[in-house]
Amino acid sequence: MRMVAYESRSSVNDIQLITRVVAGDAAAERELYETYVDRIYRLAFRLAGDDELARDFTQATFIRAFEKIGSFRGESSLSTWLHSIGISVTLNGLRKTKRQRNREAPMEEGITVGSTKVDAEPDLKERLARAIDSLAEKYRTVFVMHDVEGYTHEEISGTLNIPIGTSKSHLFQARSKLRVLLADFAPEWVS
Amino acid sequence: MTEDNFEKFLQQTAQKYNAPPARVPREEMWNAIQAKRAAGPHVVYGGGATYLIRHRFGAKVWLGAVAAAMLLVATGVGIGRWTAVPRQPVAATNPPPTQPVVVPAPENGASEPAQAGVSPTSPEGQVPRGGAQSRVGEGNRAVATNTVKGGAMSVASAPSTNGAASAYQLTAVQHLSEAEALLTSFRARSTADQQMDAQLGAWARQLLSNTRLLLDSPVANDPQRRPLLEDLELVLVQIVQLSPGSTSQDRDLIEKTLQQDHVMTRLRTAIPAGSQRGG
Repeated sequence: MRMVAYESRSSVNDIQLITRVVAGDAAAERELYETYVDRIYRLAFRLAGDDELARDFTQATFIRAFEKIGSFRGESSLSTWLHSIGISVTLNGLRKTKRQRNREAPMEEGITVGSTKVDAEPDLKERLARAIDSLAEKYRTVFVMHDVEGYTHEEISGTLNIPIGTSKSHLFQARSKLRVLLADFAPEWVS
Repeated sequence: MTEDNFEKFLQQTAQKYNAPPARVPREEMWNAIQAKRAAGPHVVYGGGATYLIRHRFGAKVWLGAVAAAMLLVATGVGIGRWTAVPRQPVAATNPPPTQPVVVPAPENGASEPAQAGVSPTSPEGQVPRGGAQSRVGEGNRAVATNTVKGGAMSVASAPSTNGAASAYQLTAVQHLSEAEALLTSFRARSTADQQMDAQLGAWARQLLSNTRLLLDSPVANDPQRRPLLEDLELVLVQIVQLSPGSTSQDRDLIEKTLQQDHVMTRLRTAIPAGSQRGG
């Protein structure tokens, strides 16, 4: 199930667009932004789970892209290059946010994390969210990109700069962990 | 089959995970991007190359460099002071260059005057010489050199660390200057002048009392000055005891004492050049 269709663009169009942006064409900047902002924002929101953070990450992604576009060498597609920036910005921002929240979180809350009983959260949506959140970052990222946002392994490989096999392996690991964590809901998918 | 069902179930259910809003706030984000770009460099998530981060990093580097430089300077100053400590006592025992002690040259002129605290090879022009120094020619060079060293040590103690010591030092120098004037007058007087003998006797009596006072004062603690004061006391006693009808033999005895003990040379050595004589 693909929620967002990937807006394919030819490499010729990308090159022309990049050339115009490098030349300082404001309209070209806006065109580049309009072309990719939805996917960047959606991916950031999926990973952050917060609109404000997603906006910050998206804005930072494009600001950095406009700053660095002069050094873009065309070794990958513009989409892959832009998503690489988006993923880097988002993951680093989430790490920073997580550190801040851990420092601000009271000691008592930190102790209770992970001790919640299964019966306390019967809702599948909440259980799934917690299960995905508990995944390691590399597994969670691949899972969100592939199973949630519909990226292909090729796109994930180019964006995260990992081999395709690694992307598949990470996805397998993520699904396996989620299957264990959601074992209580096995009748849901068996039926 | 179960695996496929789980994947489908997972993909369907996961669509609700952190579901983004249907409307992407494009315009708001674009305006924010333009505003941030217009505002200049700023912090960007993901370790982006931001001027602010570079500036903060550069400031830390500069602060570290400044701290290292200050530490280096402080260490150097500390080492310098630590190594300079042993020199201070040596400098304290040397006479101040502004008060050189001059040794009068012998009458035969074979030796050049020596200056305490100054190398013998120093230019002669740096050695102040008094008129009386050229008239005195007693003792040989070896004795004069020893006297110079002793005198240098005596003068070296002149700039004492407290005011009382300085006062004693000044009094002693004035007394020795006056004694030198007395002895010079004694040796230059006419042998038949009995009135002069009486005046010199009165003068010597006054100096004798002062000499004894100085022998009981801290000034006499100087190992070089105390023998000089004792010899001076002996000569002064002899001058005081000269009666108006004394013979030339009596005066010859005094003269012999002066020569044997090199009293005049030692006196002039102990008196810093430029100090007031006979005051």
